[in-house]
Amino acid sequence: MHLPFRSKKALRAAAVAAMVGMTALGLTACSSGSNQGSSGSATKGTINWWGWTPTNSQEAKDFIAQFNKKYPDIKVNFKLIDITSYDATIRAALASSAGPDLFDLQPGARVQQFGPYAEDMTPVAKAALGSDWKSKIAPIAISGMTLKGKLTALPVGSTYAGMLWINSQLFDKYGLKPPTTLNEWKKDCQVFKQNGVGCFVQGAAQEGFDQDTLQSIANSIQPGLWTKASQGKAKWNDPVIVKTLTIWKDLFDSGIMQAGALGAQQYPDANNQFLTGKYAMIMMGTWYTQYATENAMNEAISAAGVAGAKTFPILPIAFPDVAGKGHVSEMYGDADYGLAVASKSKNRAAAETFAKWIATTKEGQQVIANRLDTLPTLKGVKPDFAQIKFVDPNLQSTPVNDLLKKVGSVTEPREALLSADVQNAILAAAQSVAGGSASPQQAADTLEKAAQAAANQ
Amino acid sequence: MTASVVRTQGAPRSAAKGDRSPRGTGRRRRRLQASGLPWILPALVLGIGLIYYCIGYTGYISLLNWDGLSPEPEWVALHNYVRIFQDPVFWKAVSHTIVFFIVTFGLQTVFGLVFAVMMHSKIKLGVLYKVIVFVPVVLAPAITAPVFRQLFAANGQFNWLLEHIGLGFLAQPWIGQESTALPVIMVITIWQWTGLTFVLYFAAMSQIDQSMIEAARIDGAGNLRTLISIIWPSVRGTTVALAILSAIGALKTFDVPWLVTVAGPNNATQFLGTYIYQTTIQLAHAGYGAALSVILLVVALGMAIIFQTAGRERSEKSTIRKGAR
Repeated sequence: MHLPFRSKKALRAAAVAAMVGMTALGLTACSSGSNQGSSGSATKGTINWWGWTPTNSQEAKDFIAQFNKKYPDIKVNFKLIDITSYDATIRAALASSAGPDLFDLQPGARVQQFGPYAEDMTPVAKAALGSDWKSKIAPIAISGMTLKGKLTALPVGSTYAGMLWINSQLFDKYGLKPPTTLNEWKKDCQVFKQNGVGCFVQGAAQEGFDQDTLQSIANSIQPGLWTKASQGKAKWNDPVIVKTLTIWKDLFDSGIMQAGALGAQQYPDANNQFLTGKYAMIMMGTWYTQYATENAMNEAISAAGVAGAKTFPILPIAFPDVAGKGHVSEMYGDADYGLAVASKSKNRAAAETFAKWIATTKEGQQVIANRLDTLPTLKGVKPDFAQIKFVDPNLQSTPVNDLLKKVGSVTEPREALLSADVQNAILAAAQSVAGGSASPQQAADTLEKAAQAAANQ
Repeated sequence: MTASVVRTQGAPRSAAKGDRSPRGTGRRRRRLQASGLPWILPALVLGIGLIYYCIGYTGYISLLNWDGLSPEPEWVALHNYVRIFQDPVFWKAVSHTIVFFIVTFGLQTVFGLVFAVMMHSKIKLGVLYKVIVFVPVVLAPAITAPVFRQLFAANGQFNWLLEHIGLGFLAQPWIGQESTALPVIMVITIWQWTGLTFVLYFAAMSQIDQSMIEAARIDGAGNLRTLISIIWPSVRGTTVALAILSAIGALKTFDVPWLVTVAGPNNATQFLGTYIYQTTIQLAHAGYGAALSVILLVVALGMAIIFQTAGRERSEKSTIRKGAR
């Protein structure tokens, strides 16, 4: 095929124009194109909500159905994104003009990375709860969602960790008591192993859960030191942290931690192993309370791929006093997740309506509370136990209620103070010590260097 | 650019060479023809506009301290490159890549070659064996990875098998310890890609002149001698191509180590691809990740050039040797 051109000049001009045009098109498509125009209607429209949680899509559907009873003209599309790919997905989406209207945020690295691309929700909170709005929401939830004075998301629920969950049937079967010290923990594990049952299971390949165990160990040595190190007020190679890593290593060497823990993920590996009754203990936080209920445990066991498995009662117990200093490990927590409104959204008003309903109204928070997945952040809202069916109410009701009461006084943050770099360095330290490639002192020194480098960036 | 080759339609050849026509005849419209330009323009624009633009843009980002989103990146010149050469995880990833390439390429070549020779021997149920060997090539790592995670778990089927055949003392948490995690990744890769090596060798062997093999047989060459002295040199081109593909594949390795071991434990299965992803996406160091990408690109290009040059020199030497005879 030959196309006619009047001259070489014209030909070159056409080629150059085409190239420039295509490049400009590409650049336009790639550019951020900030859109601060109209925020749309607050009572009607379609909003897209992206999040890694609620992981149970039925839970999200329930929230939306309840919301639609009050706001029938706002259609909410929930897109569940696996937590491992959430950062990659949301990063690209927020950079473009085609991202979500509403997205999940979590204290710590995610608030630091994506908070700048969210609306300040302070005016929304004030409008909903009045000028003293801060006194009406759990303080730990507000601080975690605040970045440089800006409330990046309305906290929907909060989670706390620092305890173990046990399979009470297995403890009863072998006549064992929940461990309160390191020695008791080791002895329980020996008995379970002799009977061919797994003792304690952890996905030590995932940093968040390793941090929980390490923070609990550190709290049993010297309460508060971990938080000081997270704040930069203590060094990560402090003798308490070295001792923490030494005890952590002992968990592996003494057979408390399952073989191959360093290659396992907490989700799905460890979670599935525990829920299918193969292990007696697991390190999980208050989000695991949902599995004390018949319905949620049934759903979880089915999701773990076990057909016809029976539910069993799980109980929360305090993290053992592994340092032998008499400190019962303090619990720690953050906002579980908050709903952030994307600055580039064209439906910001409708998105704010949904976030406001779920985070600041009693109806919205009651739906959250009754799920027992994440704990409501609005003060005064509690799970309605008349509607919640435990697997074994006689056994579980008291410890679960005690747990929910206890977390009300927790002030120590979980991940909110840690950047992604420090979390990555903690994982490296934990794995290198457990794998034997570094001594606790060497790993702590490396961790301190990494934390300093991260602080200087 | 081929598209710039233009000629005046209907004009004498001399005019096309640049001679001006007299004014009277110059009124005749010169209609220049662009042969092929419209055909290649879309690919050219996409190629330059997307691929090369992206490479250039990555090079630019590599000079920044940037989280990938912030509107105010910080210019740091070559600082990211300096940091990379002082980064122990980078060197770990490089050493894993080298070991991974040597082992996977070596074993895939041996297995692929042996399978191809066996399949040319007209064995019974040959088609079935071919299918079995090739099937892993078409399976997506996303599908096979969870299976391997389960298979090589501490309480997985591989250890179960070892225990049931009296080798329980060899049972290990294969993907849960630094010493065995990388070998597991290599085993999975060899399992997955030997089929491709086999198919390419099988096709290459079909091109070998049968009379040459028959002559070798008449001269008394056994199976091994024929394989080493006749078949192996005849498929050298395929081996070079496979070496290039394996080297680039090793540099780009991402899916298997990420899906099976998440590059751990303690970076034991860290590769350049996984490190770039971790750095750029999880840790939000887009500038540092871009600098790693640029290094990856340079190394990949360098390796391709080295293999190509080495392959060409060998062929030339062998041609000269044959000519001298």
